[in-house]
Amino acid sequence: MIAVERDTRRAAKMYQMYATFFDKAEKERRWNPFEDIPWDRINPDVTDNLALCAETFLCVEAYLPDYIAGGLNVVRPSFGQLWFTANWGYEESKHSTALLEWLLRSKKRTEEQVFDLMHTLHEKRWTLPFNTSRQMTIYGCFQEQATFVIYCRQEQVAIEQKCEALRAVYRYAARDEVAHARFYMEVVKVLLEEDRDGTLLDIAHVSKHFQMPGVGVVPDYEARISVMREESNVDRDLFLQKVFFPTLKLLGVTRQDLVAVSAKARAERTAAAAT
Amino acid sequence: MSTTEQLVETFHRIASDVCERELPKLEASTMISDLGLDSLQVLEIVGAMERELKVTIPDDQLVGIQSVNDLVGLLQRRLA
Repeated sequence: MIAVERDTRRAAKMYQMYATFFDKAEKERRWNPFEDIPWDRINPDVTDNLALCAETFLCVEAYLPDYIAGGLNVVRPSFGQLWFTANWGYEESKHSTALLEWLLRSKKRTEEQVFDLMHTLHEKRWTLPFNTSRQMTIYGCFQEQATFVIYCRQEQVAIEQKCEALRAVYRYAARDEVAHARFYMEVVKVLLEEDRDGTLLDIAHVSKHFQMPGVGVVPDYEARISVMREESNVDRDLFLQKVFFPTLKLLGVTRQDLVAVSAKARAERTAAAAT
Repeated sequence: MSTTEQLVETFHRIASDVCERELPKLEASTMISDLGLDSLQVLEIVGAMERELKVTIPDDQLVGIQSVNDLVGLLQRRLA
């Protein structure tokens, strides 16, 4: 038996947040990977590294069925978040379609290469990095914001390499990612209102154990990420500057808040071990 | 004003506490990445040092800290 959201006021609030998100998406963000990308403006001479990066993001996006299955189960008690996850899956599916189309149309990969890779990828299953809805929502804030920043960087590289089609793929995908990050942040703000200390502890926990979703499932992930880091100057400092601190700021949380809850939890652990 | 040596010692004490293990002896030149600390632990250490020394480092200045000396230098500038 699943514990559904019995607090109707809270359920209505979550639904309203989803409705606002969805309405805005329908009005301002809908795009079609087959019609809205200028496919006649592909530069077939972009570097192999840029193509490898596109393939890496396709690999990460390829686990979408696992992300959706895991995500739906973990937020099942909350109607608004459940519907958000369904819509999120639709929007993310366009990212992999657009990346796949670019790899094929640019002739950087053959159909055989792409579908062989998909087959290899689906031999593994992605599993949830965190167990609770709250932790996964916090993870969503950081992960979507990080993906937004990475896609913006890739867009710049695509501009430098004069590939208008790839530039558009990253632009549309980045715009979706930041909208997703903002939705997760709105939910976390509600969670902070409900239980500030518990949510801060979860933010600290997720920050400590955060990894991007491709880790452990995408083949040659480290080598692929090294290329991406070199290609678009993505590193730990960029993560702090453009992902971690801005996310905390938008949530109304300071790093001192996280330090305080972590220190308290450590002291409790030490005291419990001593008894 | 605290000397570099005193601040390195403070870093060592606080970092050992945060990691819940005694860290090996540190030099100012020690790279933080060599200590096996995760990002949150680094922020915890910075936060505890800020509290103890009664200074605040703006978030944007924490970007780029790689060695113990980078952090110590930052603290000394805030203390000056």
